[in-house]
Amino acid sequence: MQENTVNAALTQEQNILSVRGLQKSFDGLCVLKDISLDVEKGNVVSIIGPSGSGKSTLLRCVSFLEQADGGDILYDGQYALRGGIYAPKAELARFRTRFGLVFQNFQLFPHYSVLKNISEAPILHGEDKEEVRERAMGLIAKMGLEGKENAYPYQLSGGQQQRVAIARALAMRPEILFFDEPTSALDPELTGEVLKVIRQLAEEKMTMVVVTHEMPFAKAVSNRVIFMAGGVIVEQGDPQAVFENPREERTKQFLRVFER
Amino acid sequence: MSLLTMILKMSEGLGKTCAIFFLTLLFSLPLGMVVALLRMSRSKIISSIMRFFITVLRGTPLMLQLLAVTYGPYYLFGATVARNKLIPVVIAFAINYAAYFAEIYRGGIESIPVGQYEAAEVLGYSKFQTFMRIILPQVIKRILPSVTNEVVTLVKDTSMAFTVSYQEMFTIGKQIANSQTSFMPFVVAGVFYYLFNAIVDYVMGRIEKRLDYYR
Repeated sequence: MQENTVNAALTQEQNILSVRGLQKSFDGLCVLKDISLDVEKGNVVSIIGPSGSGKSTLLRCVSFLEQADGGDILYDGQYALRGGIYAPKAELARFRTRFGLVFQNFQLFPHYSVLKNISEAPILHGEDKEEVRERAMGLIAKMGLEGKENAYPYQLSGGQQQRVAIARALAMRPEILFFDEPTSALDPELTGEVLKVIRQLAEEKMTMVVVTHEMPFAKAVSNRVIFMAGGVIVEQGDPQAVFENPREERTKQFLRVFER
Repeated sequence: MSLLTMILKMSEGLGKTCAIFFLTLLFSLPLGMVVALLRMSRSKIISSIMRFFITVLRGTPLMLQLLAVTYGPYYLFGATVARNKLIPVVIAFAINYAAYFAEIYRGGIESIPVGQYEAAEVLGYSKFQTFMRIILPQVIKRILPSVTNEVVTLVKDTSMAFTVSYQEMFTIGKQIANSQTSFMPFVVAGVFYYLFNAIVDYVMGRIEKRLDYYR
């Protein structure tokens, strides 16, 4: 019995993100009903599902862009949201440094160079300028954007812009990275370069939650796949199981569309 | 009266014309931002008051507002009319232009995608940092053409100060025109305003060019 409790405490500590019973509605319309999930350190969790299923809302809730109505959100076992009540503002600001978010539409700052887009936030957080610059240059190289540090976002392709956005999020050295349909705004020939970068991060054991419509990618990269529909998690498991042997009828129905 | 004396006499009023112009910009540009932010306030009361304030200032003639600010205190409280008319003139102009600038700012601020705020929020920018570093620079670039329009109008509107007999260039010109029964002073005034606005166009064009480095 005691051993069980210790184990429970251990697993909980390994969960960078835990969500329990998360609720969210917009004007009486329930978009998240009792969502629970755990993301372990070093894991990649993909969230798939039809549009309007609440995938993006879930990401927006855990990154505090949307205010949840009920449930718990924990980072490293610490409550950011407990029973629908948020931690004080100053604490939420500290939680914010634990995660990064990559948007569908990049949302780079158009008036900043690539380098400034990546380095300003850490500098504003009081980090050493030279150190941040070096880290940013390293990230630019890692993203395959050498020589682009002084370019402005409008001079880059969508795929390049999204890679800058990923570098910008990584510059904050987050423990977990959220991707909200990172390739949905890209031309098909540009999705590959972005997915490659995410795959590389997965190999480096970066903890990530990826909302995506790229099924082969989700299958290849994830440790776990979550299928959402109608504001609930219909099914989750390892990618092999969910994609090859879905248990739920709703999952089968959704995946069938992609087989054609 | 020779054309040269006419020009020289009217030039004496140019300093005052410039005083109205620059002081109005100095006060109305920041005041407009305050009004715009209050107009967008989440408080219904504050935003309604600001909306009313803006409709009054945009919906009534500037000339009327000049008269009200200059002579209103006398009729309402029997206060003496200010000896230096520059003060009421600048107050009236600054408030009037602030209302116009406020609506331009508001349009600019509302045109920035919500995602820009969200990106900054997730990166830990404070509300103030987000506004000053991310939003405002983009707003300035977007609204510059509309602001140039207002500034050009302001150059010409300074002539309105003649209604309260403030001795700026146009008021002097009008007096000369009356005493000499000549149309020439108005031609001179027209040329003055045209040249003034040529400079305004040049300066604003330079500023727009400097913000051309991104899209």
